[in-house]
Amino acid sequence: MSRVRGTRGSTLPGRVALKICPRFLRLAVRQVRRGVVMVTGTNGKTTTNNMVAGVLESAGYRVIANREGANLVWGVAAAFVAGAGAFGRIKADFATLEVDEASLPVVASHLAPDLLVVTNFFRDQLDRYGELDRTVELVQRAIGKLPLTRLVLNADDPLVAQLGKGENKTLFFGLAQTVRLTATVQTREARFCPACGRELSYAFYHYSQLGDYRCLTCGFARPGAAVEGQAVRGGDRLEFTVRWPAGQTSVSLDLPGYYNVYNALAAFSVGVALGLPEKAMVEGLARFAPAIGRMERFSHRGRPVYLNLVKNPTGFNESLAAMLTGSGTKDVFMAINDNDADGRDISWLWDVDFEALARDPAPYLSFTCAGIRAQDMALRLKYAGVPVELIRVIPGLVEGIEGALAGRGALVYLFSTYTALWRSQAILKEVLARGEEPATGLAERRRALR
Amino acid sequence: MQRLKWRHLPVEVAEVALGQDADFEEFDVLFLGGGSDREQDIMAADLKSRRDGLGRAIEAGVVVLAICGGYQMLGHFYRTAGGREIPGLSLLDLHTVAGPRRMIGNVALELELPGGVAWAVGFENHSGRTFLGRGVRPLGRVVAGNGNNGSDGWEGARYRNVFCSYLHGPLLPKNPLLADHLLQLALARRGEGQTLSPLDDGLENLANRVMYERVTRAGTRKGPSGRR
Repeated sequence: MSRVRGTRGSTLPGRVALKICPRFLRLAVRQVRRGVVMVTGTNGKTTTNNMVAGVLESAGYRVIANREGANLVWGVAAAFVAGAGAFGRIKADFATLEVDEASLPVVASHLAPDLLVVTNFFRDQLDRYGELDRTVELVQRAIGKLPLTRLVLNADDPLVAQLGKGENKTLFFGLAQTVRLTATVQTREARFCPACGRELSYAFYHYSQLGDYRCLTCGFARPGAAVEGQAVRGGDRLEFTVRWPAGQTSVSLDLPGYYNVYNALAAFSVGVALGLPEKAMVEGLARFAPAIGRMERFSHRGRPVYLNLVKNPTGFNESLAAMLTGSGTKDVFMAINDNDADGRDISWLWDVDFEALARDPAPYLSFTCAGIRAQDMALRLKYAGVPVELIRVIPGLVEGIEGALAGRGALVYLFSTYTALWRSQAILKEVLARGEEPATGLAERRRALR
Repeated sequence: MQRLKWRHLPVEVAEVALGQDADFEEFDVLFLGGGSDREQDIMAADLKSRRDGLGRAIEAGVVVLAICGGYQMLGHFYRTAGGREIPGLSLLDLHTVAGPRRMIGNVALELELPGGVAWAVGFENHSGRTFLGRGVRPLGRVVAGNGNNGSDGWEGARYRNVFCSYLHGPLLPKNPLLADHLLQLALARRGEGQTLSPLDDGLENLANRVMYERVTRAGTRKGPSGRR
């Protein structure tokens, strides 16, 4: 419920539509002329889905999408309500929808997608006790009921790639071996073969369990990637080469984060699967602007400020890796809540490699810890070896963000768990809008925001 | 480990891999964690072959910290919902019975430590209910949350220098008095009876106090009610 509330009521029209007409989605989708794409997985759903929408729009199509990440059945319905014109007529060529892993069986029973993208399966903050196995099983069973759906799967993730062993037509995407300039050190817990349970052997890792794996016992191995990313370069912007059966091209993305190469490859693969021209993919991706809190970029007094959602160790590690590539001094803000949608158990913070920050503390001017669990975040940084004098505990989001922006860093990074994200964005926008004006009326505005 | 480093005491962490030879008596502190059912099965099978060595280490006073699954494994058995008894290592006089609902949430405890009463906080997530026999005593008294079984008001277990708990979160950083107590016992066993020098535990105590107050204010109510 709070997960829905976290998206600021954007699912309400969908709830109403489904209440009035339970067959709403089934009827609505008939008016989508060309096809339905769905995106599911642990991390990267929103970004990938929005990239797919961008690629389709670049090809000249009208697209319905749940762009803000409301990914339960009501959010999907709300996207159709928002896409409907007068008299409820939906004029769209494609619908592209991100769907929560656990909701996929329900949503797919309403409307069968033509293409289903699965990004990755990572351990979640809610998943210390084997929930991941159940999630994979849910998605697997949903696919079992979608024999005509073409799958677009991440070849580098053994948990995802195993979904391609069935009858469905499948297109795999992946990353060739590249040297990462900056990466966090991640606990390489044993990765087990999803087919036989033995430990997998890796030729190389990208991050978490993503890489070139092979099971020496049963032979399960990374499938060949039809769409493959190569030669990833850049920090603040990303450049890489994509090779696919019909060609090879260079792609640039105006956003940081190595993991975004995977999201872009998934969107590129959708274009390939739909037979779109290369130009649509390249231009759609080049123009892509991230959704709220996905390395969303703002500008404060001429310096970049990034707002990024963090929800599990892999995601946080990759966000830190993206921060490490930014050159210049940095002020950092971390808002950690423990509401249901964030995960009530915050011990996952101890699986994040904050030690990477202590290995080279020179660029960091301050770490502001905020949110309901501000103190725990601060403690985690202390035990990671971050100099205590850089750590500040400021639970209030307004005061915390103001504090981080008051720093003199060349870059500012804001990390936030789910339920603090929208408020953090609102506060950030408010502070930026205030700009250089004198701080009169500040107290009033603070009260209004609170 | 950090708390030793900050005191300039040399420390080394050794991971004992599956099947790897190890003489537990040579260590100062042993840690047994938990995991998913699948991971725990793998660990239990490995520990079976090490039972006697681990037992000797415990009797010799090695400090052991066992959390959640590691805790359950040290007992006599785990009885599943179907009534099947999975034997444990029987190194501690306790047993665990699968319960009808998972006990998930924040916990606050009162611990008796040599220096007095300490307030501990952490997070529990277990469906097993653990009951202590005569040979062990509890780690602490539950102030909020469920603890061992949700009914007798106790949490964790203690035997010689073994400390068992369902609390993670993790347990030691937020409860520095308990962490230092473990370290002090380990030093004493080595015959180094020195008192640990005090550290600035400002952040530790702040995190502990904030959670203790929040959890006890919410009382023992379950679920998200009473939360901000």
